[in-house]
Amino acid sequence: MYNLLTGPLAWISFLIFFIGILIRSSLYIKGLDSNIDRVTYRVNTLFGIKEAVRSIFFWLIPFSTRGWRTQPVMTLLFFIFHISLLASTLFLKAHNMILQERWGFCIITIPNVVSDYLTIAVIVTASILIIRRIKLPQVKILTKRSDYLILIISIAPFLTGFLAFHQFGHYTFWMLTHIISGELLLIVIPFTKLSHSFLFFLTRAQLGMDYGIKRGGMKRQKGMAW
Amino acid sequence: MFKKILFATTGTPSCDAAARVAFEMAKRYNTELFIINIFGIPSRSFSQVITDLRTGDEIDLHDDQLAKIKNKLERRYKQQIRDYNTPHEIVLTDGIPHTEILRAARKNEIDLIVMGARTSTQENTGAVNRHIVGRTLQSVARSARCPVLIIGRAAASFWGGISNIVFGTDFSKGSNQAFEFAFNLTKMFNASLHIFHAIDISSGPFEFTKNQEVIEDRIREVRGMIRKRYISKMEGYNDYEIDVWEGIPYVEIVKYARESFADLIVMAHHTKKMAPPEESVFGSNVEQVVLRSNAPVISVNHPARQKKIDNQ
Amino acid sequence: MDKNIFCTPNPVNDKEALDALLRDKRGQQYYDEMKRLKVDTAALQKLLNDTCRSRIRTWLEICAHCGMCADACAFYLSNDKNPEQVPSYKIQSTLGEIVRQKGNVDNAFMRYAMDVAWGKCTCCNRCSLYCPFGIDMGVLMSYLRGLLFSQGFVPWEMKIGSGMHRIFRAQMDVTVEDWVDTCEWMIEEYEDEWPNLKIPVDKKNADIMYTVNAREAKHYPDDIAEAALLFSIAGENWTVPSEGWEETSLAMFAGDWEGAQLQVKSVYDAMDRLKPKRMVVTECGHAYRATVIEGPYWAGLKSGKTPVTTLHYVEWVAEALRSGRLKIDPAKKIKEPVTYHDSCNYIRNGGLSHIGREIMSYIAEDFREMTPNGDHNFCCGGGGGLNGIGKYRQERNTGQKVKRDQILATGAKLVITPCHNCWDAIRDLEETYKIGIRWSFLKPLLLDMVIVPEHMKPKEE
Repeated sequence: MYNLLTGPLAWISFLIFFIGILIRSSLYIKGLDSNIDRVTYRVNTLFGIKEAVRSIFFWLIPFSTRGWRTQPVMTLLFFIFHISLLASTLFLKAHNMILQERWGFCIITIPNVVSDYLTIAVIVTASILIIRRIKLPQVKILTKRSDYLILIISIAPFLTGFLAFHQFGHYTFWMLTHIISGELLLIVIPFTKLSHSFLFFLTRAQLGMDYGIKRGGMKRQKGMAW
Repeated sequence: MFKKILFATTGTPSCDAAARVAFEMAKRYNTELFIINIFGIPSRSFSQVITDLRTGDEIDLHDDQLAKIKNKLERRYKQQIRDYNTPHEIVLTDGIPHTEILRAARKNEIDLIVMGARTSTQENTGAVNRHIVGRTLQSVARSARCPVLIIGRAAASFWGGISNIVFGTDFSKGSNQAFEFAFNLTKMFNASLHIFHAIDISSGPFEFTKNQEVIEDRIREVRGMIRKRYISKMEGYNDYEIDVWEGIPYVEIVKYARESFADLIVMAHHTKKMAPPEESVFGSNVEQVVLRSNAPVISVNHPARQKKIDNQ
Repeated sequence: MDKNIFCTPNPVNDKEALDALLRDKRGQQYYDEMKRLKVDTAALQKLLNDTCRSRIRTWLEICAHCGMCADACAFYLSNDKNPEQVPSYKIQSTLGEIVRQKGNVDNAFMRYAMDVAWGKCTCCNRCSLYCPFGIDMGVLMSYLRGLLFSQGFVPWEMKIGSGMHRIFRAQMDVTVEDWVDTCEWMIEEYEDEWPNLKIPVDKKNADIMYTVNAREAKHYPDDIAEAALLFSIAGENWTVPSEGWEETSLAMFAGDWEGAQLQVKSVYDAMDRLKPKRMVVTECGHAYRATVIEGPYWAGLKSGKTPVTTLHYVEWVAEALRSGRLKIDPAKKIKEPVTYHDSCNYIRNGGLSHIGREIMSYIAEDFREMTPNGDHNFCCGGGGGLNGIGKYRQERNTGQKVKRDQILATGAKLVITPCHNCWDAIRDLEETYKIGIRWSFLKPLLLDMVIVPEHMKPKEE
């Protein structure tokens, strides 16, 4: 079972994940149309790239856009959730050991205790995000069942990984569910709202180019006040 | 002298006095009479809804409504239309009143605009638009290319025999035009012309107002100016008087008009700038005189159409 | 069932149809007919297939439903944070649904979408600055308007406005003759005080071709004269075109892309004909957005730019003040507290925020910024055509509360609004809320302040 999950199924899910990203990204870029979008992507492109980079950069730094500053609680939640999620996944010692084993390389690692806290942070912030969906009317009205489902799919690997690591109950059971949920996550990312994980960069770049090329970018003094 | 008269009306009692004069003149001089009513101002941007100038209500700009407004106007002036039986045309439009009056005057080559004057207390206008109403008279008098006859008080609305014309001058460029017009009228009616100037002592250096000798020197000086500037152009017409008084100009001219049994006052409305909105009703000497005098006031400011009349 | 006369998917293309539509008081019959207007789902689907590409589909799909756009919206804030006013909800429940249903929507749905597209959004694009993914709900709403227009679900005034552009190449019934005549009239009007004033019509190779908003010709001709005076005082070699003089685009507000194209082409044709060095657009926001920012795309210009360089009026003013061609009499600067309303269409969507500040530094002694301002300023409620739509008047008036509070917080009683729709909206705001403010374009204020060169003054006797 373990071998199947970490063997062919892992391969398949990674393939789907990466190929999915590639296809979706290229479809996105291919679907951009200067006339229909009314942005000359190919003329004055440098102005566009400049604002695209700024647009992505500022939104990646906490409190560096007015949007982040005006909603500090959401900003904290947002960054803690995303940073913890990425860091605990990528820098986890166990994950890197597998990488080393299979492909002979690894990324930097962090101590297990840090990973632990990060995982807890993911679960806690995700829970608050869920409460936020239920409690805040402006979020509630937007929320659909799929939004909860996606959140659950997203935190399932963390929850199961955490339980497995601390050997609550049946280790193998949690380990297997951890792997399954992780692979499921990889597979659904390209096809759901989770595709924002990579499309974020493209849509932000697109809006940056829109403002940079067309909507005042060449006249705006210091670039858009994101 | 007048071939086409434009009577600008709000279609309300405040314009009745002016209506009387307009119809009377149209009949007497056998002129065409254009009755213009600007019933509302555009206040809903590009839309077809406009704001009634008096009530502040919304009006829709479409045929039925226009017919209704036209009908109402005709009813108000029914008697005059019947009695005077002058050829007339009713022009209904929306817009900024003074702009539309001036536009119509230009388009129809009007020789005389007749309008009523009203204070803001006379009628309850839509609050936001009040200053527009107040400004109409001022703007029209300032910019019209033809004389503007303004009827302030009901007592000023009897255009009968004209035997005494008061010409109030402030020696502005507009006053030159006003003089020409006043003199032409004087000749036409074989009337006597009272040329008047008031030395303004309400403002100016203290020394000036304190010292009566200085004032009287100035009076002599002004009389000389009047002779040089106006009398010299009167080709020997000798039924005239020159008077120079001191005081607050609009008060003096009203007093003077009363004493000289004036049937008509001719003045220039040369104010370059529009008065600020809150003062616009009482913005200038002309408006003050209009509101106070028992005689109708004609404001003349521009030569353009006047010259054409001289040539005829 | 009766056949629809007014409310059809066909745009108004001739005067007869326009007059008939105008006679339908406040669109009563029009809106009645709309209730039985059939949705041509096949055509809608085809239009989606042709024009709904990855940008829009992706935006709609990846929206994380996080609600961060809520506080960005003036309508949301003005309506006591009614969740139905959350930008994402407004677009997901309309365009999102149409796209998900592949155009299979019914009449009631389309009418709901119309209520949202013109009654709850001014397309100010402010929310685009608050979405972490950069989803521009103003752009989406504008796209939705295009879909609705193609099916005939468009407010009565918008249908008329689009028709005006198609027939007169102007947003109002002002013909080329009316326009040229108005210019001549203004010269006569001002010749006594300004003997050398000229409004050169159709002069070739001028430095500046000036274009206006039809409302100036129709209702506010003094605005044209004021522009002429300021150009003369600054010593500009300028002209106005006899044809292609109108900058605005109700067609853009209506989502009538064909009409919008016809309108901007008339201006670009004038550029080709007169070969000016530059064009200056009057103090109007959406006109600048339509003709300068969006227009080149409608006209299919590959450069994405107008045939000649174009400035908004505020850019010209700033340039003239900077270079000293317009000199302000220091004694006549605005002394009272004064604030500047940023028009979404040329500030956020045109990058001219710094220009407004530069002008204020020359003309005002006590300039008070609204908070927030510049690229982040709130819409006044006058955008997107909402000024003129009777059906959504109340929604618009409510939406102005945010702007009202912004102005009140500055303590200024004078609001400078170099944009026609903003000017109207701030006027309406005063009418509704009576907060005791005045509002003005730049031109009359500048004329009060500039030093007039000797040769422009009338000769004294």
